[in-house]
Amino acid sequence: MTNSSAHTCDHCGLRFSRAAKEAVCDDKRELAFCCIGCQAVYHTLHEAGLEDFYALRESWSEEAQPVDPERLQADQATLFDSPQFLQDHSEVLADGTRRIELHIEGVHCGGCIWLIERMPRLLEGVVDARQELARRRLTVHWDPQRVQLSEIARWLSQFGFQAHGIDAKNVEQRSQSSKKMLTRVGICWAVAANVMLLTIALYAGLDAQSDPGLYTGILWTTFGLAAVSLYVGGSVFFRRAWTSLKAGRLSMDAPISLGILAGFGHSGWATITGHGAIWFDSIVILTAALLTARYLQIRGNSLAADAAERLVALLPRTARRVLSSGPGLPKESGAQELGSVEVVPAETLVVGDRIEVRAGDVVPADGCVVIGKSEVSRAVLTGESRPEKIAPGGILEAGTTNLTSPIYLDVTATGASTRVGQLMEWVRSGAKDRAPVVQFADRLGSYFISFVLLAALVTAVAWSFVDPTRAVANVIALLVIACPCALGMATPLALTVGVGRAARRGIHIKNDDVIEALAAVTDVVFDKTGTLTEGRPSVVDSYGDQAFARRACALETRSSHPVGRALLKWAGPGISEAEVEEVEETPGAGIRGLVDGSDVSIGRLSWFDDVSSERSNWAEEQARRGLTPVAFAVGGEIRALVAVGDGIRPESKGVIERLRRRGIRVHLLSGDHPRVVEETGRALSIDEGLTTGGVSPEEKLRYIEALEREHPLANVAMIGDGVNDAAALQAATVGVAVHGGAEASLVAADVFIVRNGVAPVEELLQGSQKIMSVVHRNLKGSGVYNLLGITLAGFGFITPLLAAVLMPISSLGVVASSLIQSSFEPDRPEELPEKAPIARHSTTEPAMEPAP
Amino acid sequence: MTILYLLIPIAMALAVAAVITFTWAVRQGQFDDLETPAIRVLFDDEEPKEEPK
Repeated sequence: MTNSSAHTCDHCGLRFSRAAKEAVCDDKRELAFCCIGCQAVYHTLHEAGLEDFYALRESWSEEAQPVDPERLQADQATLFDSPQFLQDHSEVLADGTRRIELHIEGVHCGGCIWLIERMPRLLEGVVDARQELARRRLTVHWDPQRVQLSEIARWLSQFGFQAHGIDAKNVEQRSQSSKKMLTRVGICWAVAANVMLLTIALYAGLDAQSDPGLYTGILWTTFGLAAVSLYVGGSVFFRRAWTSLKAGRLSMDAPISLGILAGFGHSGWATITGHGAIWFDSIVILTAALLTARYLQIRGNSLAADAAERLVALLPRTARRVLSSGPGLPKESGAQELGSVEVVPAETLVVGDRIEVRAGDVVPADGCVVIGKSEVSRAVLTGESRPEKIAPGGILEAGTTNLTSPIYLDVTATGASTRVGQLMEWVRSGAKDRAPVVQFADRLGSYFISFVLLAALVTAVAWSFVDPTRAVANVIALLVIACPCALGMATPLALTVGVGRAARRGIHIKNDDVIEALAAVTDVVFDKTGTLTEGRPSVVDSYGDQAFARRACALETRSSHPVGRALLKWAGPGISEAEVEEVEETPGAGIRGLVDGSDVSIGRLSWFDDVSSERSNWAEEQARRGLTPVAFAVGGEIRALVAVGDGIRPESKGVIERLRRRGIRVHLLSGDHPRVVEETGRALSIDEGLTTGGVSPEEKLRYIEALEREHPLANVAMIGDGVNDAAALQAATVGVAVHGGAEASLVAADVFIVRNGVAPVEELLQGSQKIMSVVHRNLKGSGVYNLLGITLAGFGFITPLLAAVLMPISSLGVVASSLIQSSFEPDRPEELPEKAPIARHSTTEPAMEPAP
Repeated sequence: MTILYLLIPIAMALAVAAVITFTWAVRQGQFDDLETPAIRVLFDDEEPKEEPK
C-alpha cells in the first residue's frame, strides 16, 4: 500500500484504505474515519464543543482501544449510587456535596485530562473534577442533589473512560506514609544544608583560638541540628535495623545505623569535651542522601500497591441473583421466564446461589453453568484471546467475560476462594517472602563510613607522631573531602533518571532495583499471547479463490465483528470499488449481503450446507493449529476459505534473533494449545526444547522455579500478561508485564510496559544495561575521587578549605553523569513525526499488508 | 565577626520557616502529582464559570 491511498482516521489515527474512508466519510467536513465508532465519538466531541481534545492529545495510541458500550452496565450504576458504596468511598463536605476518588481506566495523555476536567461545564451538578495522569486518579466533587455518581460514570464511559471505585482507606494510608517520608527527606536536607554552611566556617579556619565564642556556638548548633536529622531521618534506619536484628537477620540498615550512630556519638563527645573531630556534616548528608533514595523507592512501591487495589475492580462488585428458581424451569434460558432477578453486592453471594450473567458481563464468582449456551473469554485469566464455547455443565471462573448470550450459574466459590482470589493471594504472599534486593549503594555506603572512620583514625595517629599541629587540619580535610554525598547519590540518581526516561518511552519500572538484574539477564521467558503475537485476530492462511475472497470482504465494512476487522485488513485497499447492499448479519454464524450484485456470504463453515471434504479437511487442519476457518461463498457455494488466528508480530523474529545473539536463552511458555505454541516457536526459530505449550499457571511457576534451580546464577526475566502469569512473574528474577494483559499482572511484575509488541522488551534490556553502566561510571568516579582525596588529605596535601571547595565538585560530577545518560533514547530522528500522522504509525504498517 | 551571632540565628529561623512551609506544602498534596499540572497549564481558559464553594 502506498501512502497516497492510505488515510488516517480523524479520530483514532488508525491508517486505513480509501475504501473504508468512503464507506463512512463525512461529506460536509471532508473527514475520514476508520469506522462508524470513531465517527460517532468525533461528533459527540464536536457537539459538546470539545474539539480542543484533538489539539491537546499527544499521540494516537498505536492500536485503537476497543470500547465496549456494554461495560458500564446498569449494575455498575446501582453500585455507584448505592448508599453503602457512597458511604465507604466518598466523603461529605460541609455544604452537602460529596467528593470521591475514582480510578479511571483509559487515561493516556493531556487530551484525556483536558476532556475529563471539562466535566463540570457539561454535567450539571459536578462542581469540580481533577484528573491525575500518572496514577489515573480522578477526584470528583459533586452535588448528589443534582447529579448521580452513575451519571458521571456514564458520561466518562461515553469517551471510553471507565471508572472504578478504589478503596480510599488503604490508598489514603499509603499516600499519608509517602507524605511523611517526603517531609522527613525535606527536613533532613534543610538540616544538612545548614550544617554544611556552618561547618564551612570551621574548614575556613575558625577554631577555639581565633574566636572561642563563635566556635563553641557553631559546634553546639551543628550538634543540635544533627540531632534533629538523627531523630527525623536516622530513626527510619534505626527502626528497620532493630526490626531486622530482632528477627535474627542483619539487614543493610544495621551498618548504616552503626555508621551514623558512631559518627554522631564521636562528634557529640568531641563537642562536649572540646577535643576531637566533628563529623556532623558527613552524617547529616549521608542520612539525607540515603533517605532520599528510600523515599524514591517507597514512591515506586506505592504505585504498585495502587495497582493491587485495582484487583478489586477485576471482579464485578455486583451480581444478579435469581430469586425464585423453583422446579419446572423452562429448558431454554430467558430472564423473563426465570422469575425475578435482584442485583446484590457480589460479596453477599454464597455457594449454591443461582446467578444470571448477561452477555457482556463479567462472571462475579466461580460457578457451574446450569442453563444457557454462550461464548466466554477467559483473556483476563489465561491470556487466551479466543472465545470459548460454554454449555450447561461447564465451569466458569470469576473474572471470565460472558460474550454472546445470557447464562445461569450455580455458584461454587466466592470472593477469596475463587480461582482469581487464590492466585492473587499467592502473589501477595510471594511478595512478602521475596528477599529484598540490597541496594548496592547502601552496601557501599556503610562500608564507606567504616573505611573513612578508619582512615581518619590512621591519619590522626600518624600525624600526631609526625607533626601534631597539623593532625587536626588533615583529619578535617580528609573527612570533608570524603563527604559521601557523591557516593550516596551515585546509584539512586542514575537509576531515577533512567526510570524516568523509560517511563517516557512507555516502560514503567516499578522497582528500580531490578535494573541491575535486567542488565545481566540470561534467560528470557516469553508468554506467547499478546507479547510475540498480535493479540488480535488476523488472516494467517488462505485456500481457494483468494481474489474473490478479498472482494467479498467488502461486506465486512458493515460489521464490527473482530474477525471482520481482520478480514478487512487482509483484503487491503482493493475493496473500495465494491458496492455493498442488503447486508444481514447472523450473530455467531456469519454475514450475508450483495457485493456488486452477487449474493455473497461469509461465515463459519457449519453455517453452509454442502462443504466438500477437501475443504473441510483443510478447515479441520487449520482448526487443529488453533486457527478459526472462515468460509466465503457465492449463492451458498463455497469458493474460498481463510484461516484467522493470532498472527505473529512482524518485529518478533528480529528481536528474538538479536536476543539470542547476545547469548540470552529465549524460552516460550504458553497456556495455549501445544500445537499452536509449537507452530509459533518454529516460526520464530526458538529452540524446541525451550518451547512449552498448554501449561497451567501452576506449571508456569514450576517452570520458572526449576529454571532458577538448574541455573543458580541465571537472571530470569519473565514476560507475560494476564493474571495467570502473575505467580510466574513473581517467581522470576524480573517480571515484566506487557500491555494488553490484565492490569492485575502489574502487582506481580517489576516492570510494566504499556506499548504494544516485543520491541519495548528489547529496549528495556538495552536501557538497563546503559543505566547500569552509568551507575558503575558514577561509583567509579566518586570512588576514585574519594580515594584520591582521602589519600592526599591523609598525607597532608589538602587544606580543609581546599577540601570544602573540592567537595561539591564530585557531587556535581555525579549529577551531570547521571543526567547525560543515553538509556531509553527517543525514536531515531527518521522516525520522528515530520508528517506526523503518517510517520508516527510506521510501526503499524506491516500489519496492513496482506498476510502471506 | 560578631555579626555572625545575629546572622546564624536568622539563618536558623529561615531554615525553620522553610521546613514549615515545606511540611505545609506536602500536607496540601502539592507533591502528589508532579505530572498533570504541567499539562494543565496548556489548557485554554474557559469562559468564567461558578467557582467551587
